[in-house]
Amino acid sequence: MLRIGSAQGFYGDDVTRALPMIEGGHVDVVCFEALSELTLAILRKDMLANPARGYTFDVSIIAREILPKAFARKIPLITNGGGLNPTAAAQMIRDTAAKAGLTGLKVAAVTGDDILARLPELQAAGERFLNMDTGEALADAANQAFVTANVYLGAAPIVEALQNGADIVITGRVADPCLYLAPMIAKYGWAWDDWDRLAAGIVAGHLLECTGQVVGGNSIAAMNLLDPADLAHLGYPIAHVHEDGTFVLTKTPGTAGCVSVETVKEQLLYEIHDPAHYLTPDVTANFTTLRLTPDGENRVRVAGVTGEPRPEKLKVSMGRMEGYMRELIFTLGYPAVWRKYELLQGMIAESWKGLPIERVVYHRLGIDSLFEKVSVAPDYPDELVVRVMFTAADPDTLKTAVRRVMANGLSCPPGMSVSGSTVGGDPRVILGLWSSLIGRDHVQPLVTYLEV
Amino acid sequence: MRRLFDLAYGRSGDKGNIANVSVIARTPEDYAEIKAKLTAERVKAFYGDLVPGNVIRYELDNIEALNFVLHGALDGGATRSLRIDPLGKSLAGILLSMEWDT
Repeated sequence: MLRIGSAQGFYGDDVTRALPMIEGGHVDVVCFEALSELTLAILRKDMLANPARGYTFDVSIIAREILPKAFARKIPLITNGGGLNPTAAAQMIRDTAAKAGLTGLKVAAVTGDDILARLPELQAAGERFLNMDTGEALADAANQAFVTANVYLGAAPIVEALQNGADIVITGRVADPCLYLAPMIAKYGWAWDDWDRLAAGIVAGHLLECTGQVVGGNSIAAMNLLDPADLAHLGYPIAHVHEDGTFVLTKTPGTAGCVSVETVKEQLLYEIHDPAHYLTPDVTANFTTLRLTPDGENRVRVAGVTGEPRPEKLKVSMGRMEGYMRELIFTLGYPAVWRKYELLQGMIAESWKGLPIERVVYHRLGIDSLFEKVSVAPDYPDELVVRVMFTAADPDTLKTAVRRVMANGLSCPPGMSVSGSTVGGDPRVILGLWSSLIGRDHVQPLVTYLEV
Repeated sequence: MRRLFDLAYGRSGDKGNIANVSVIARTPEDYAEIKAKLTAERVKAFYGDLVPGNVIRYELDNIEALNFVLHGALDGGATRSLRIDPLGKSLAGILLSMEWDT
């Protein structure tokens, strides 16, 4: 049996949930999944400011607080938190480990996913990067202002690193569930065309990769079973995977939360499209043949997963800067909220005359901001919370826009208030995405090692 | 009067500008009823302007659940959307409010 813990599902997750898994002796390996398209773009900004950055801050916490404890127990750690700069992250980990007095430790960095600098060369070699949504070919990469272009790698380079004795593997963009699949292949030696077992590993990875979401977080099925205080310290999930690919999904013993057939079903269908063809770099997984059975307290057995050959090509996601967005929130109250709403909109529009504001959207929070016309809005609410979102190509325009609106502070609709934290807020980046495919022969993952 | 919530629970999430909503039956009988009556057309009509594109339905008899894929439902997707719920996390909940016995 291989016991795989999952201690991160996004950049900012509480990676120290790995500690009770490790210190309690509940896991053989721990994985940390940190990346999204937006995360990669944020990391690019960090890296432009400092070429030694470009990886997630969470990796520093892992190196400082978790690695010494895992290394002492020979529990390997795997993370894609290397983001755009796994090499720099590996150096930081080595330095941190050396300072902590660890010796005999091997750090592996996986690169080769970041193809931003190679786009012109790859286009010359015949890659058209057809947009998966529109079918349009990428015109000229040099003119598109892309800040990220990353291939979703599979499990293979991580398997190689683990088999070469790495104590921590740090990667860039690896498809989320493949992070978790890698230690299974490294342990059991599953063949790269053993589609059913690879698919089973992907299902385990898919269930693990959103940490809290399979142990009671974001769960309609579990919301009445948890104490309100539980959500802030759910015990993160662990899979007990067998050589035949069957596994039990459970959570860190002695911690808050719950694992049930219901929470597993919720997470199984999270962010998937065709459940019979879940595409990953290593296998096409079928979620429609598996069986879920309760297996004791906080344990669900998963069996019967089947798979088909992997897709011919790999997915590439590119991001380009499209501008910035800003938020202001106003409150309006009785009497005549709708008249006041009209006055507010007119005041803002006049204030922004001549400014290059691109989009302006008004949301009425608590009325119809989530569901628009699906909601049944009251005719005359006593309170109206208005959220104004607006965008521009540059952050300075947004700053001016806020200043001009706030200059009407004593000339506003009667009784209006503004949320001070939104006035002092920062602009957020708007990122345009271009998803496409690339031939496998154009992608060469590379594993490099550092030792202490 | 029952609502869909009385027969099912679910979760929603994002992939680019596409949202997906799972509808997971509470009992085998509920699944039979949902599978027969909760068509892609009915879901598309329920969301109205919130889902400008196609709605595709997938069936998972093995776990008694349906998966609805809602195209164009996320105002450009998480990296561009100006909505307060850019990931569409609330979309499953409102579908469960659907009046069932009408």
